[in-house]
Amino acid sequence: MPAPLSRRHLLARGTTAGFFIVAGQWLWLTPREAEARVFDPQVLSPEQCKALSILGDALVPGAADAGIAAYIDLQLQAGDESLLIGKYLGVDTPAQTEFYRAAADNVISLAGDKNSMQTFATNMASDSLSGWAGPPASYVLFVLRADALDVTYGTPEGFERLGIPYMAQIKPDKPW
Amino acid sequence: MVSKNCDVIIVGAGAAGLTLAARLAEGGKSVSILEAGPERKLGDLVSSQIWARKLKWSEPAVSESGNHKIGHAFNAGTGTGGSALHHYGVWLRMHEGDFSLSSDHGVGLDWPLNYEELAPYYDQVQAEIGLSGDSVKERWRPQGAPYPMPPLPLFAQSRVLAKGFAKTGRHTSPLPLAINSEPYQGRPACHYDGWCDSGCSIGALGNPLAVWLPRALAAGALLEHNARVSRVIRDANNTQRVESVEYLQDGERKTMQADRIIVAAFAVQSVRILLSSATEQHSAPGNHSDKLGRYLMTHPAGTIFGLFDEETYPHQGVTAGQLLSHDDYDEKDAAGGFGSSQWMIGHAIKPHDLLGYGTNRPDIFGAELEPWLKRASRHLGNMTVVCEDIPLPENRITLSDRLDRDGIAHAHAHHDLEPSAAARCTQRMSEGADILRAAGASEVWAGPRIGQHHMGGAVMGSNPEESVTDAFGRVHDTDNLYVAGPALFPSSGAVNPTFTITALASRQADHILSIN
Ligand SMILES: Cc1cc2nc3c(=O)[nH]c(=O)nc-3n(C[C@H](O)[C@H](O)[C@H](O)COP(=O)(O)OP(=O)(O)OC[C@H]3O[C@@H](n4cnc5c(N)ncnc54)[C@H](O)[C@@H]3O)c2cc1C
Ligand code: SF4
Repeated sequence: MPAPLSRRHLLARGTTAGFFIVAGQWLWLTPREAEARVFDPQVLSPEQCKALSILGDALVPGAADAGIAAYIDLQLQAGDESLLIGKYLGVDTPAQTEFYRAAADNVISLAGDKNSMQTFATNMASDSLSGWAGPPASYVLFVLRADALDVTYGTPEGFERLGIPYMAQIKPDKPW
Repeated sequence: MVSKNCDVIIVGAGAAGLTLAARLAEGGKSVSILEAGPERKLGDLVSSQIWARKLKWSEPAVSESGNHKIGHAFNAGTGTGGSALHHYGVWLRMHEGDFSLSSDHGVGLDWPLNYEELAPYYDQVQAEIGLSGDSVKERWRPQGAPYPMPPLPLFAQSRVLAKGFAKTGRHTSPLPLAINSEPYQGRPACHYDGWCDSGCSIGALGNPLAVWLPRALAAGALLEHNARVSRVIRDANNTQRVESVEYLQDGERKTMQADRIIVAAFAVQSVRILLSSATEQHSAPGNHSDKLGRYLMTHPAGTIFGLFDEETYPHQGVTAGQLLSHDDYDEKDAAGGFGSSQWMIGHAIKPHDLLGYGTNRPDIFGAELEPWLKRASRHLGNMTVVCEDIPLPENRITLSDRLDRDGIAHAHAHHDLEPSAAARCTQRMSEGADILRAAGASEVWAGPRIGQHHMGGAVMGSNPEESVTDAFGRVHDTDNLYVAGPALFPSSGAVNPTFTITALASRQADHILSIN
């Protein structure tokens, strides 16, 4: 998990998103708040969340802070209502959980420390990792990178980071 | 439980269903619409590409196979307005030659009607929904009434891209759109904020919620949501007639009766409903010669991107694009492949999501990414080629072995792209890269070839042995069961289908009203 965010950060980014279990209690938090408080994921294991968070952040810097692991876990809980882009990419909703679990387990067993993630991602892109199991690594990279783009740049804050006016007709009251 | 009787039941509250509902209800029919998805209002359409995914068809999933899958999850929507609730509003007429593919080229199928028969309905619909465009600059446009509104203004991105077309000897015109360039019939002008994919909440885009639904309801049509039709049921005493539909709502299995039933549940689900209606005694309606589900089509399409020194500000405008090029449209036999094609030029675009520029460069990640995204958000240009699909009987919708939670079979969609149609798409995408370079792009890349729009599956035709319905969408082996929507298309052309879907539905409505 990324280091806990400061209280100032939490207040500045205080949008609501969903229920997470934190220290045995259900709380209504944004994914990034949930991550900051070390949320108890409901579908993925804490290790799997950490792995997805590290890889997501290596692909799209800022994704861990934006709450990629908590976002994925929350959407996997949502079943048919999942907002994950995987649905468009041929990962149908019932298969999504296994997809992310397999992706995370590959990272856990094959990736080195945080510093070697760029090389790991490059090897994923070329499907050249020996021992990779499940859907092809390059495909997993594409999906996870798309998720990371969603949480990092697919929100009014993300647009602002790129200098693009959001121009909402109806502003989303929560990012997802 | 059998519920109320009405003149007409319409299955599906999308582009075809709500057009028919408005016309039939205004013509004096009592109409009930059964919609599988939830109720949606314009005010629900939050400006977010992430939330927009809620508008898509979710479960039961459609399994797919073939070398060019149809992409059901992206192309199909559910809830009031259907896929059309967040469609992009490119409204083009099919060309004359699109109606006679088999006669002219010896491939695919002919339509049982020609352009002249549909033209009055194109004219009628365009006046009602309001189209923006320039019929003179569209030098390739089939004859028809001029557009009721001037075109949308051109933004920086399209001005840059237009140079590439001019330098390579090609032509462009304003893209005709069901989007208001000025206030029209109580609906406001476009804000050019590029949120069309999330659904236009202000009603500037003529989606079914903004145009047809208010008319249908005002004329007395009834609309039920979360009412998923599982099958149509034949009359036990007269098997030429269907007497009712069975549907699932609130965990209950219900039945509704009507004099006429129109299945307008988009291509795949319409076929799924008909295939699920087979009984031990009778083949599925329209399937007496094994044609139901066949000739499934999707337009092969691809987007070309480029980075320019000039500022393009690609967030401005509408998702559909701003310019059109149909230079080669009528040259279906031209060297290099087979089929028509068109360019939609200058899409307003976001950094993320399936069509976003960030997503389309998986090779850029890590520290390089943000500086690249910042550059692209000011200097990117993009345009999409849409090509013709060739209708093949092997491309078909069938019922899968998987059952949904209500015990109804899922649909399976198989689609292979015919090699000459694939070659045409590759050829045009390569030409697109040259056009962008001519426009001054320093870096050019292509997105994947995807399937856009779904057509076929319950094709109309003059010969009952070769088709599923007649020229008015009436299922051949029944007196009172109709299909509406793109499932009827015997060929795809290379234009976006919703203008034709709506014109065809209007023609069907006139026919049904004329019967009694
Ligand atoms: C992102 C996107 C952009 C597009 N842009 C364009 C464009 O610019 N121009 C263009 O011409 N076309 C465009 N299209 C395509 C266009 O939306 C479709 O061609 C059109 O909506 C099809 O109309 P329809 O009435 O057949 O189906 P839909 O509009 O999809 O309506 C079908 C309805 O039937 C309902 N239904 C399904 N099964 C059942 C059941 N069993 N019981 C009850 N109801 C059921 C569905 O929930 C749905 O609401 C776009 C599509 C998408 C997804
Ligand atoms: S760009 Fe225009 S048509 Fe599209 S959502 Fe905005 S106002 Fe509506």
